[in-house]
Amino acid sequence: MQTAVKKLSVKWNNNPVVVKLKHWQAGYRLYRMFIYLFLIGLAFVFLYPFLFMITTSFKSVNDLVNPTVHWVPKEFNVKSYFNAYALLHYLPYFRNTVLMTVLSVLGQVLSCAFVGYGFARYKFPGREIFFGLAMFTMIVPPQTIIIPMFIEYKNLGWINTYLPMIVPSFFAHGLRGALFVFIFRQFFRGLPVELEDAARVDGCGAFKTFFRIVVPVVTPPLLVTTILSTVWHWNDFYEPVIFIVDRVKFTLPMMLPLLGESMNKATGGTVTSNIDQSTIMAACMLVVLPIVIMYLEVQRYFMKSIERSGIVG
Amino acid sequence: MKIGLEKRKVISGYVFILPWMLGFLAFLVYPLVMSFYMGFRKMTSVSGMEMEYIGWENFSRAVLKDIYFIPLFYDAIRNAFVEIPLILVFSFFMAMLLNHEVFGRAFFRGAFFLPVVIGSGFVMEQLLGQGVGALQTVAADPSVVNTGVTNGLQIPDVIARYLSPEMYGNLTDILGRLTIMFWKTGIQILLFLAGLQGISESLYESAKCDGATPWEMFWKITFPLMTPVLLLNAIFTLVDSFTDIRNQVILYIKQVAFTNIEMGYASALGWIYFVFVFILVVLIFAFTRKRVVYTGM
Repeated sequence: MQTAVKKLSVKWNNNPVVVKLKHWQAGYRLYRMFIYLFLIGLAFVFLYPFLFMITTSFKSVNDLVNPTVHWVPKEFNVKSYFNAYALLHYLPYFRNTVLMTVLSVLGQVLSCAFVGYGFARYKFPGREIFFGLAMFTMIVPPQTIIIPMFIEYKNLGWINTYLPMIVPSFFAHGLRGALFVFIFRQFFRGLPVELEDAARVDGCGAFKTFFRIVVPVVTPPLLVTTILSTVWHWNDFYEPVIFIVDRVKFTLPMMLPLLGESMNKATGGTVTSNIDQSTIMAACMLVVLPIVIMYLEVQRYFMKSIERSGIVG
Repeated sequence: MKIGLEKRKVISGYVFILPWMLGFLAFLVYPLVMSFYMGFRKMTSVSGMEMEYIGWENFSRAVLKDIYFIPLFYDAIRNAFVEIPLILVFSFFMAMLLNHEVFGRAFFRGAFFLPVVIGSGFVMEQLLGQGVGALQTVAADPSVVNTGVTNGLQIPDVIARYLSPEMYGNLTDILGRLTIMFWKTGIQILLFLAGLQGISESLYESAKCDGATPWEMFWKITFPLMTPVLLLNAIFTLVDSFTDIRNQVILYIKQVAFTNIEMGYASALGWIYFVFVFILVVLIFAFTRKRVVYTGM
């Protein structure tokens, strides 16, 4: 940038004022251009897995082996999607995943909001210690506690149900529950207390205040936590694979590694992993499509909410 | 019975955090204690879940005898130490860029979070199945990598022509690793963006009036005010890196527990891992205690 400015100033050396204005403009333009190039380049890298998935899923078998076809398929081929849809047994597993995700997210968001509110608004002995402990849960690696959990759930008869994923969510735990408690607490701390005081003066109890007055105004953190929680629960693989044994109760992501097997059963063939890349990518698309659509739908509000949720203390 | 307002507030407070406390006892304290208990024991009967006390044997086995655990552990630590600073610097930088008024800001912001949406689970695994597997064999055969998903960041032929095969392989390897790392930065960028939005514009205006350069403003205003977010992000990235499902140690512990059915030994491994992560977090807090700037709160 510096050198470019210098060159310009040598060229238009006659009129100092104009020179100053012009080379400021040129330098600024160059700077903007550089930023855009950089952003576009990086955006490509970030969109890459998604683009790769889309284009590959539309490729026919001929396109897959044709080295001249890199991005755009020669023919628009949707057969892979029908294949993948059949091999995944999409609908029942879609229903399973929705059931598990919706219940977990609902429980997690509500309970985390509730607990976060308690941490932010009420003073009680040991509050800081409890909050510290809540943050401490974030750093416990799941594999440290997964074995006793397995035994605990087995004794409770929860193996092969979605309860091991759902019930902890209702107690402000579950997938990264501590992070959500933290987000809610930060938001409530920044919220003016007058509204709640007014409600109290009017004779509204603590819980009625929370549900009637507070919950309706916390859309930003509610949206942020809902989206993050949905995405994480939908894609969750580690826990369901351990706690769910019965094939009928699997979730969609759990079906992906079974594609090859499913293919074998359908064709009666003996060759394993004889499944083409296009079908695998179509299956991946089908698995993530619901949450991608949801994300694109609320993306704009999501970004605004992130700004307003006041995560920084 | 009449209860004073203060006392009632205390009780309400406890009621609000009661769900968390119950969950904490049932889903964290109990399993942690149990796993500690099992770490000193050996399973004698799988069906009856009977266990026998064997002292520190599991722990000494992990450190002294197990030929897999320590190398995997070392790899996980090394990866984390390379990755965490890179992720933090990169996502901070990205957040600064995206905080500017640029055309299509909404698009860029949406794009950078997309890998989190599709990539926090098995789908990314499947995608990388063609790339990462290739990446591991890259030292042996650099041409393999071209078939993977990670060839998004390929070295142009013009430059590649002048590189030796080893150098080309190394560069492709580094680029592939960087790409995968970039895809993990969505949450961190978001948290940094939220932090940057929280800094009052008037601070910059008054600094400008006093003749501060953008460079000075960054180091005297932006950076100090961002230190709490930086700390949060550092912890989040650390934990994320150590609990990632692609993390080899996690896969190993899972294998020991559910394939070899050595629950006692797996618990001991889990505890070694946990203590290590815990010490790291404590060190981060101790190191940053005086350096993090808290305003107001």
